[in-house]
Amino acid sequence: MTHRFSARQTLIHAILILGALIVLLPFYVMLATALKSPVEIASGTGGLFGAQAPMVSEDCLMQGGAEAACLTRPVLDNFRQAFTKAPLWRYMLNGVIVTAAIFLLQTLIAVPAAYALAKLKFWGRDAAFALVMFCLLIPVHAIALPLYLMLAHLGLTNSYAALILPWIVSAFGIFLMRQFFLTVPDDLIDAARMDGMGEFAIIWRVMLPTAIPALLAFAIFSVVAHWNDYFWPRIVITGDRSLFTPPLGLREFKGDLDGTFYGPMMATALVIVTPLVAAFLVAQRRFIDGITLTGMK
Amino acid sequence: MPDTPRLNRPEHRQARAGSALIAPAVLLLLVILILPVAVAAILSFSDYTLGRSGIGWVGLKNYADIFTRSSYRKMITATVLYVLVTVPVSVALGLGAALLIRSVRIGASFYRTVYFLPVMASLLAMAIVWEFALHPSLGLVNRTLAQGCGTWLEGWPWFARGCAEGFPLWLSDRDYALWTLAFIGIWQSFGFNMVLYLAGLTSVPRDLYAAAEMDGVRSGWARFRLITWPMLGPTTVFVVTISTIRSFQVFDTVEALTHGGPAKSTYVMIYAIYEKGIAQNLVGMGAAITVLFLGFVMLISVAQRRFVERKVHYA
Repeated sequence: MTHRFSARQTLIHAILILGALIVLLPFYVMLATALKSPVEIASGTGGLFGAQAPMVSEDCLMQGGAEAACLTRPVLDNFRQAFTKAPLWRYMLNGVIVTAAIFLLQTLIAVPAAYALAKLKFWGRDAAFALVMFCLLIPVHAIALPLYLMLAHLGLTNSYAALILPWIVSAFGIFLMRQFFLTVPDDLIDAARMDGMGEFAIIWRVMLPTAIPALLAFAIFSVVAHWNDYFWPRIVITGDRSLFTPPLGLREFKGDLDGTFYGPMMATALVIVTPLVAAFLVAQRRFIDGITLTGMK
Repeated sequence: MPDTPRLNRPEHRQARAGSALIAPAVLLLLVILILPVAVAAILSFSDYTLGRSGIGWVGLKNYADIFTRSSYRKMITATVLYVLVTVPVSVALGLGAALLIRSVRIGASFYRTVYFLPVMASLLAMAIVWEFALHPSLGLVNRTLAQGCGTWLEGWPWFARGCAEGFPLWLSDRDYALWTLAFIGIWQSFGFNMVLYLAGLTSVPRDLYAAAEMDGVRSGWARFRLITWPMLGPTTVFVVTISTIRSFQVFDTVEALTHGGPAKSTYVMIYAIYEKGIAQNLVGMGAAITVLFLGFVMLISVAQRRFVERKVHYA
């Protein structure tokens, strides 16, 4: 019988802890920098939380504030600048609007299609399924250029539509829901038809409730992908700040300030990263199961 | 039984409902995914630019340029190198982390959570944080390295040179930039691979190990080589495929940190499509790179499907 604290176990923990330190390093840098004063950042002192000594905000003085009014604490000043130098709330709101709209439309389109593919017999079903399987091979990012041209011809760049439209049909979502619907017994559907339910009612009131785990997994997959997406918004949104998603806003911050205002920039990064990381920490099992399920297509 | 009119029979109702329900999805798949592929293929033979009326056909010139001009050769080198470094390392680390986490008696869920955090965090945001951490003078990394100066670490020639002449600039040094981006890519993705391997490991039947033990398989390495690795075959095929496709698409770190430089050492394909096709409005060239890129990605996916169909069980 090996001991609980055998040399072998200790070695494994040592390796895993070393790995954890490297993985957590940028999170530490982000948090520590968001909390510290410019002086502490420049000199690399102050540990994680900084001394939080009262300081006069340079930025506030430049805006014409009086010295007494500009007396503040480093952490407060960093976050104040993060929210006032750029419309960060607006970026977050845009992120919510875009990810929510994408997921709702994906569901609205994928669920009926998946039901038809799994449970109805009609002419062209095999061809439609073959199309879905083929489209699984095409990453949307790879065809960004022609998509951008098409949207430009329609005059749709720099709009919410441009951020949302390319993603509303998910071949993967259709495939995933179809696999789930295949496991629903036909008797359930026949019984619903006997009760006089139409196909539409069957989809939303009978099929969807059975597929909640799959839908939740897909929701996590979709929201994580689109909240964090930077490539597509970068292409279709040029200049109009009121349409920026969170990653675009942070990128603009970095470009604007030429990377010298590290405290407020890291505060912005922290604000952008926190919602998903917090959701993940609260519902870890769901997130990991969701990502695994959607990963193992 | 009364004669129901032909169109109201259940199978006809089903057929009509089926076509109606699938129609929006099929239409959108054709317009959003298939049509752009065709558009890219057609425009790749042209010198089209957005905003100018008319279009000139240049035949295979764009493709010829990709294979002859040095900047595009550098693009292919950078992309392939990035993928060839990132994929094996992140798959190996994912597998290693999964195996170690499975073997600890306490703390497994803690390590799993920590390693999975980067998958959740916006890559763009974390890239900017890494850039700051790797800052030549302000960054934590070089500051920490500098503290090793004057110790036994100076016995390592690379380290001694760093102490004498300064540690690397990481992202603005052409010898280091691509490796630094690959490191960030690995940092971000290995936790995802780990989670897939953890799922794969739970499906390896326990009695296989007991049976092997009876057959005299004693060492951990032999157990891994004879049971774990073969049983993880399907997981590995999948993990390698998805890692490859994802690392082919690296963009965020390149755009935010290096702009393809220095000296085109990090000029990967998706960034080239963005720079040529959209920023510089050389649509024909961007389209040709798009077609080449799609070719690469589809080849990998098709190879994976073939592989899976042949049932990857080495056992």
